[in-house]
Amino acid sequence: MEKLLEILEEIDDSIDYENETALIDDHLLNSFAIISLISEIEEEFDVEISASEMTVENFNSAEAIWNLIQSKLED
Amino acid sequence: MAYHENLYLLVFLPLVLIFYQLVPARVRPYILLAFSCLFFLANSKWILIPIALTVLIWQCGVLMERVRKETEEKLPSLDKAGKKELKEKTEKTAKRILVFGILAILAVLFVSQYLHFTLENIAGLLSLGGIRLKIPSWSFFPIGISFYSLEAIGYLVDVYWKKIQADHNPFRLGLFILFFPQVMEGPIASYKDTAMQLWQGESLYIDRISSGLFRILLGLFKKMMVADRLARVVTCVYDNYNHMYGIMVILGAVAYTIQLYMEFSGSIDVVIGSAEMLGIRLPENFRQPFMAQNAADFWRRWHISLGTWFRTYLFYAVSMSKSVKNVNKKLRKKYGKYASMVGTSAMALLPVWLATGLWHGPSWTYIFYGFYYFAILLAETALMPYIDKLEERLHISAKTPWYAALNMMRTWVVIFTGELFFRAKSMHQGLTLFSHLFTGSFFPKRGVWDILTDQRAILLEKADYLAILFGIVVILIIDICREKELGLKEKILQGPVLIRWSVFYLLIAAILIFGAYGAGFQAVELIYAGF
Repeated sequence: MEKLLEILEEIDDSIDYENETALIDDHLLNSFAIISLISEIEEEFDVEISASEMTVENFNSAEAIWNLIQSKLED
Repeated sequence: MAYHENLYLLVFLPLVLIFYQLVPARVRPYILLAFSCLFFLANSKWILIPIALTVLIWQCGVLMERVRKETEEKLPSLDKAGKKELKEKTEKTAKRILVFGILAILAVLFVSQYLHFTLENIAGLLSLGGIRLKIPSWSFFPIGISFYSLEAIGYLVDVYWKKIQADHNPFRLGLFILFFPQVMEGPIASYKDTAMQLWQGESLYIDRISSGLFRILLGLFKKMMVADRLARVVTCVYDNYNHMYGIMVILGAVAYTIQLYMEFSGSIDVVIGSAEMLGIRLPENFRQPFMAQNAADFWRRWHISLGTWFRTYLFYAVSMSKSVKNVNKKLRKKYGKYASMVGTSAMALLPVWLATGLWHGPSWTYIFYGFYYFAILLAETALMPYIDKLEERLHISAKTPWYAALNMMRTWVVIFTGELFFRAKSMHQGLTLFSHLFTGSFFPKRGVWDILTDQRAILLEKADYLAILFGIVVILIIDICREKELGLKEKILQGPVLIRWSVFYLLIAAILIFGAYGAGFQAVELIYAGF
């Protein structure tokens, strides 16, 4: 989780990722930020995220993103 | 029968509500479907097209599900390698079904919207080599095809992505595609958004009816008070594009942008209000677009459902594809993060904006409009890190009031320029108007007000401009309240009866007394109904 928070901080350090639960709903992360985030995640965690997983639910909070990564690692 | 016409508002919609309420809940969806077909037929004879699309996506969805189910049943008897092989084979088959479905939908869309345009351009090219081809004209335009084609494709992709289960009920899918308030101008909904709601057949409630009525009245107010009047200024500028002063071009572009907003968002108000009366929540299509801080922000607020569709099904599909990811990785290794971000954005934005331009119709001005926003959005993305640094150095942020106001006005210039070309009938017309900003006289000798109130040209009087101004101020106040999330509508609807009904009567009175009617005014057709 720490690694993920580091990646997120690097994209935008003005957001309180530990408590924010509407990253997408409140337009805090735009689609360009999401693309950067995904390429960082894929490199860091050696997972592959597909277009079908690009849902609001998967990216609205750091926890949701972390859960997505975990589910990918378990596959 | 458009949404702002008496036939829809005073006959069709009340009849739907009455029949809907009178029949048992399980029959209600069928009543909606029957009235939806009737509405479609009142506007276009090509009802077989949406019906065929429904049958197509119904069968493609069911087929995708069936092959996956058969695989699931076979899996337990296979070893690990066999399981992997069968799964891959199944997904390939599912993909083939998906591609077939999408191509079939796009083929119909192409024939109805783009075939004539393509042939005309081919004939134009051939004529350069001395070959003359005569392209016959034909009329094949199933109304709203650009809207429900996207909904149909979205449904198939969602089934393929396993976001939803395939619907085995063709009537429910038919209602999702043909639902009368949405069929002509959107909002483009996903299956998840509306299909199940539409099928529930909930009873009508007075609260929902009055809330829907409020929304409809607001939409009519926008169109009749402001849009239909501004249409005259716009028509005058574009009809006389060869002899326009610079200031009139600016006024024309601003007037058209406001007209388009008032008319399109007004129609969507009627659409959402009509659905709300039936207890159905449609996705919002506008969110105070003129308060956007940049072009990207504008497209998150303007025609939201179109932007959402392209972002979900094209932008992410392209940017997450293997080839783009590979290029991204290479760029990253060789030139760093910044280059890979700009490179990926360019690769994903280009098809999105080419498609967005073309989606509006077969015209070079729309293609130009798409490329215009592609260039602007790419520039915004590329400049973002530099702007962030500059803001840091100057100790300003997006929340600094004067800076936010400046960004908002800068975005207006981008919007007005885009709409100047969007409204043009040809690139020649658009470019000629644009060139008037820099060549010839900028101000007319006789004064701008004289031209605006010229009874031979624009046919608007001082009172009309006052009505426009009043309408804009009212909508501006409502939009500011929405932006600040003050819940104005809820306060009115849940407040004392006296206030609620006063607002209703004021809106009705404003539409009846000050709406653009009479001998001088002809009904102005809905712009987006043509797409």
